[in-house]
Parts: sequence; structure tokens; C-alpha cells
Amino acid sequence: MGQLRRPILVHTAAQGHRDNRLLAALPPDTLALLDRDLRQVSLGHGAILLEPGDPIEDIYFPQTGLISLLILGRDGGATETATVGREGAVGLHGVLGGRRSFTRATTQIGGRFSTIRAGRFEHIANGSVPVRDLIQRYTEVLLAEAQQIGACNATHDTRARLCRWLLQCADRTGRDELPLIQEFLAQMVGVRRTTVTLLAQSLQVRGLIRYRRGRIVLLDRKGLEECACECYDIMRHEKLGPALGVHV
Amino acid sequence: MGMYYFHLEDDETIVDSDGTDLVNTAAAREHAAAVARELTAKSTGLLDQKWSGWTMSVHDDSGLELFSLAMSDFGDGNSGK
Repeated sequence: MGQLRRPILVHTAAQGHRDNRLLAALPPDTLALLDRDLRQVSLGHGAILLEPGDPIEDIYFPQTGLISLLILGRDGGATETATVGREGAVGLHGVLGGRRSFTRATTQIGGRFSTIRAGRFEHIANGSVPVRDLIQRYTEVLLAEAQQIGACNATHDTRARLCRWLLQCADRTGRDELPLIQEFLAQMVGVRRTTVTLLAQSLQVRGLIRYRRGRIVLLDRKGLEECACECYDIMRHEKLGPALGVHV
Repeated sequence: MGMYYFHLEDDETIVDSDGTDLVNTAAAREHAAAVARELTAKSTGLLDQKWSGWTMSVHDDSGLELFSLAMSDFGDGNSGK
């Protein structure tokens, strides 16, 4: 019985790892090297993976969930600097050795994640040009994204940023129905919960989304794109890398 | 403490379906002003209507309107996009 089940489990996990686009972009023989050490885990909403100052011991590659990177204020508030979904990973620079997290990393949307010990990933990266290249390219993309989000927060109105954020969440999780806790959504956009409620209701009035507490369904992506600021288009996974001259 | 609801009204009504638990009406006024600033910052309007046409109407748990604010009193009127 156990012998029959084991290959099925390995096969399922390997397929799951490829749901993450960074891992899927690796040559098959390189991914095969990682397969032995990658684990597949399910995490719910609100799991804290890293706090500022924590040593980076594990690297997370979202398959279906979404991770937010947050800067914490002295008043206890948190500001989002990046979201990481199936297009990326959290903790990649942990392979540089002895690195600590600058942000809080928390699961915004629960789901499946591939994870590997940073030390093991570092060992593999040291012997693998494709893995080192992947780390370098993705770090460049993430830096560009953080800069764009900084400009977006300073420049664009709340409704446009909310639309951008919803579209990015949908893209990065591969689903148009988003289980979003309202308080968390307000935190991500950097406004009060009432403001998010009113803006979400206004999007619903226009037929762009269906909204009820804890769940948002994107109904009209084109309409949302028209409401979103240009940052959404600039940060699209398939555009940002090539714009920087890198292909992740 | 009590629940306060912050609806937006123009030709259409945007309903605050959730409400916010606040200590008193003074706190509700502060909250209303803060939300109005967040909504209007770098924005010219909502649902194709200028903010000058919108009012925020604040109600208590029984549905009684406590006060209202003209949204045009807030924000900088810049286009955010």
C-alpha cells in the first residue's frame, strides 16, 4: 500500500512546485535537483513567515497563495511594499548566507506553497548557474516593483490603487475569487476599513466586482484595468522583467 | 461605544454595509473626515461624478442621520491617474 502511494505523492508535489513560475522556469534537470528538498505546505491566511530581523531559514515559492511583504511602523501600523504570488518567491536572498529579513512576510491569501531550507538552496545555488541567475533576475524585478509601489502610494488615488491591487492579487494567485479579509485589505491599501468598504461598494455598483465581507469576485477585468493606475500594467509579470532586460 | 455608518450620497447611494464601532459622535466626526480625506486625495470624483456632488451621511445603529459632510470640503482635486 505504502509503495503504491509514494510515487503518487512525489508526482503530485513535483507538479505543484511547477505551479510556481520561478520554479517552472528552471531547466528540468535543475528542478530535479531541487525536487528532493522542496516540500509542499498548505498555509492559511495571516501566517507570519518572517518578522523584521529574523534570520532567513526557509524560502517560500507560492503555488496558489499570496504573501505580502510589510514594513512595520513604530505605531504598530504596517505598509505593504510588495506582494509575492506564483510569479515569485520570498527569502531568495537568504542564499547569500546569514541574511536577515527587512520586512514582515505574511500570507495574505492562504494556499499551497513550495518551501526549501535556505541553507540547502544555497548549497544547490552554489553549484548551479541557472539557480543563481534566477535569484539575481528575480531580485532585480522585486526591487523595481518596490520602487513602483513607492511611487504609486505617493501619487495615485485610493480607488486606482485598490483596483491595481485586486488585479495583481488575481494574477498572482490565478483566481478571480479572492478570499480577502477586509481589515487586511485596508492595511494593504493604507486606508481605513470604511474607505475600502465604500470603494468596494462603488466598484460593485459599476458591476466590476461582487463584494461581500471576506470575499471579492472580479467580474469585469477590463473595467478594473481602466480604473487602475498605470502601475498595474507596468508591474505585470510578463512586462516588468523584459522592461528591465531580464527574463524571469 | 456604538456602530456608526458612513454612506455616500449623490444620484446614487454607496452604502457602508459594515459600519464602524466608535466611542461617540465626536469620534464619528473625526472618522468621517479621515475617510473623506482618503477618498478624495488625488481624486476628482467617484462613479463619473465630481466630488462636489457627493455628501457623506453618517447614521447611528437605529438608522438616524446624525450629520453629513460635503465631500467637496476635502481633498486636493488633483487627478490621481
